[in-house]
Amino acid sequence: MNDRPPRPRAFRLDDVSVKVDDAAAPSAPTATIASQYEPIPPATRAGPIDEAELKVEAAQKSGLLSRRRPSLAGLFWSGLAGLVSLAVGLWMTSLIEGLFAKAESLGLVGVAFGVLFLVGLAGLVAREIYAVARQTRIAEMHVALANARAADDRDAARRLVLKLVELYRDRPETARARAEVEDATRAIVDGRDLIDVAERALIRPLDEKAQAEIATAAKRVSLVTAVSPRALLDVIFVVAQIVRLVRRIAEIYGGRPGLFGLLKLARSIGAHLAITGGMAVGDSVVQQLVGHGIASRLSARMGEGVLNGLLTARVGASALAVCRPAPFGVIKPPGVSDVAPFLFSGKGGEEAPTGAR
Amino acid sequence: MQSVRRRLNNKQRTRTHLSFFSNLLFEAGLVARSLGDYFAGGGLRLGVTGLSRSGKTVFLTALVNNLIAGARLPVFAASAEGRISRARLEPQPDDAVPRFAYEEHLASLEGPDRRWPESTRRISQLRLTIEFESASAWGAKASSLPIDIVDYPGEWLLDLPLLDKDYATWAQETLEASQTPARAPLSADWRAALKGLDPHGGAEEDTARRIAEFFTAYLRCARENVYALSTLPPGRFLMPGDLEGSPAITFAPIPLNPDDPIPPGSLAAMMQRRYEAYKTHVVRPFFRDHFARLDRQIVLVDALAALNSGPAALRDLEHAMTEVMRAFRAGRASRFASIFRPRIDRILFAATKADHLHHTSHDRLEAILRALTTRAIARAEGVGVEIDVIALAAIRATREAEIRHGGETLQAIIGVPEKGETIGGQAFDGVAEAAVFPGELPPDPMSIFNGEAIARPEADNDWRFVRFRPPPVARGEPAPQIRLDRALQFLLGDRLA
Repeated sequence: MNDRPPRPRAFRLDDVSVKVDDAAAPSAPTATIASQYEPIPPATRAGPIDEAELKVEAAQKSGLLSRRRPSLAGLFWSGLAGLVSLAVGLWMTSLIEGLFAKAESLGLVGVAFGVLFLVGLAGLVAREIYAVARQTRIAEMHVALANARAADDRDAARRLVLKLVELYRDRPETARARAEVEDATRAIVDGRDLIDVAERALIRPLDEKAQAEIATAAKRVSLVTAVSPRALLDVIFVVAQIVRLVRRIAEIYGGRPGLFGLLKLARSIGAHLAITGGMAVGDSVVQQLVGHGIASRLSARMGEGVLNGLLTARVGASALAVCRPAPFGVIKPPGVSDVAPFLFSGKGGEEAPTGAR
Repeated sequence: MQSVRRRLNNKQRTRTHLSFFSNLLFEAGLVARSLGDYFAGGGLRLGVTGLSRSGKTVFLTALVNNLIAGARLPVFAASAEGRISRARLEPQPDDAVPRFAYEEHLASLEGPDRRWPESTRRISQLRLTIEFESASAWGAKASSLPIDIVDYPGEWLLDLPLLDKDYATWAQETLEASQTPARAPLSADWRAALKGLDPHGGAEEDTARRIAEFFTAYLRCARENVYALSTLPPGRFLMPGDLEGSPAITFAPIPLNPDDPIPPGSLAAMMQRRYEAYKTHVVRPFFRDHFARLDRQIVLVDALAALNSGPAALRDLEHAMTEVMRAFRAGRASRFASIFRPRIDRILFAATKADHLHHTSHDRLEAILRALTTRAIARAEGVGVEIDVIALAAIRATREAEIRHGGETLQAIIGVPEKGETIGGQAFDGVAEAAVFPGELPPDPMSIFNGEAIARPEADNDWRFVRFRPPPVARGEPAPQIRLDRALQFLLGDRLA
């Protein structure tokens, strides 16, 4: 064996033929020893979760994954809500009693309506709970996948990727991608690579869909703002469009937010916007405001339209990051200029970047 | 004739009934104990174990010393965030268990002649209370966490799988293991003594004692530093303590035909009875009083000694780790008890003496430990235990350096090797400092298992790890460490959140 690794050996520091650090050296030292003082790195398996991902996780924590802790405001509101619902119940019973007092048939009709109301309410509540649980599960999956990817943990990656496949089981258009990912879980693939495979195959098409959705919404908002006659109208329109967009994006990634789910999601998106705000000002908005797009030079309304479009696109990008069940690994997180390039092309809302409607 | 057989059958049946009742009683005892613990409001029970010479005592001494001295431990979140206000030793709560002699061990480390402390020969316990401020929920809140640290020989852990084995199975397994190429020369005397032995012959104390002695000698020899074998149950044969000479450890496996019933009064029956007595009087009390009550466990592994010895020793170590895992599982086999019993929810496998290598090799050491514990970890799947693997040095006895020698640049360590250690023809006197290049660990961890060699001479290995003396430290200050903080974070971090 020629390429045998270097043999173990040792040198006494009091040996005169050895040069140690800066000590007086013999003319031809057999060995030179240089002390090293760097501290030993705390963890050799570094978990490089990048900054953007940490921001997304922080945003998820403040909304989707927030743990409800009893607070004074919480006590106040739950107390109030309890009293109000008791009052409503009391009112309903007295109403029905009143109806019975008038005529028995009227009372029966009242009871029937009451039952319908209760059944409907129970259904709504159940759907809401299910929706919130699903959204939370997706957010948890995101965090777990990010950790597994950072740690290159093969077993965890396999488990999570299979869960991811399960999440999209009822989407016929992902059939091929699912089969591909499932094949990969059976092959010998490292944890990090497995997650990347799943991201490329399963999540990328969804990313494209979500981006197309953002582009359409941004375009619509900028157009309507530019032509709408009253400021109040376009405020309402922008808000409605943004709510619709957020909902759509959540649905694309497998969530089905109801009212409370949407509120939680909105809190996460708000947090994400606030955390990443500085960066975005640096790259797009300032460029737009200071440099003055061609559009805003043409008319003030047009400029407002572009600004509202930008806002929509930014909220969309944040919603995308927060709703995504997997962290951005091989795929770069889209910026505003990726999802709505037409806002920067200086041609107003004329040109659509994607063919998707 | 037939009536005799029937009587035998009956007898056997009563025995199984009896063992069923004793099992039930045993389980009930466990549950009562865990309920008692629950209501007494004890703290976290941390088990520290490892085969002998893996560095349990040093680890525990360093752990306590670091916490009490309030050393800064960057990866240990509670310490890094400055939330630990104080840690102090408290009187040992269990009256029947010896206290861990922390002060003596520390004195021997810090004393003028800097010796490694005496090794663990029995179970011992220490209560440490950490006062800290919680960073969660309702804002800063002063709390305290009592930690009962239980230190016990890893050999006892290897006894736990015996609980599920009857004498015949165990005897057969032990005999088979002793015939493998690595162990055959070590066990030759004992196997020769077994020749011509009639298991169905009369039970003579003399014969029993003679083969038990040979068997014990074989186990002791295999444990020697040059061989560094690991899987050598029953553990008390190596560390008899006050059981020395008692019948419970005067037995040995003898060749049996598993289909033949063991006639009463025979040598085999006596061996079987003593084996069962060992289980009842040694293994079970340990399981019930100590092991079943642990919440967290750290298993220290001296991979370097096995690496010095050769592939067979490494495979044996791997087997031992798998058996250890079986022990952790053994506690959960019964549904009934698992409901009540506190269970170990985190296990840390730590390769100790990481300071005997340059830190650039730590990744490879960790990879080797991971390879050693892969099967063990696979076993833990579905048990709901969190497992981690790290390379650490509770007391860092060396510093690092770079050697340029004969056109090669080597990443080395500087320390004072123990007296009598040799490397590359250089012998040490235990006084002089030396720069040591221990060789390179292989990039592929699986390659260390190739081959049958054991107690390989130095020239055949690509590496040679020598032992170092404890480092000189300023009085009152804890010695430097490597990743002790990460171990603490894994074991205690969540309880100090």
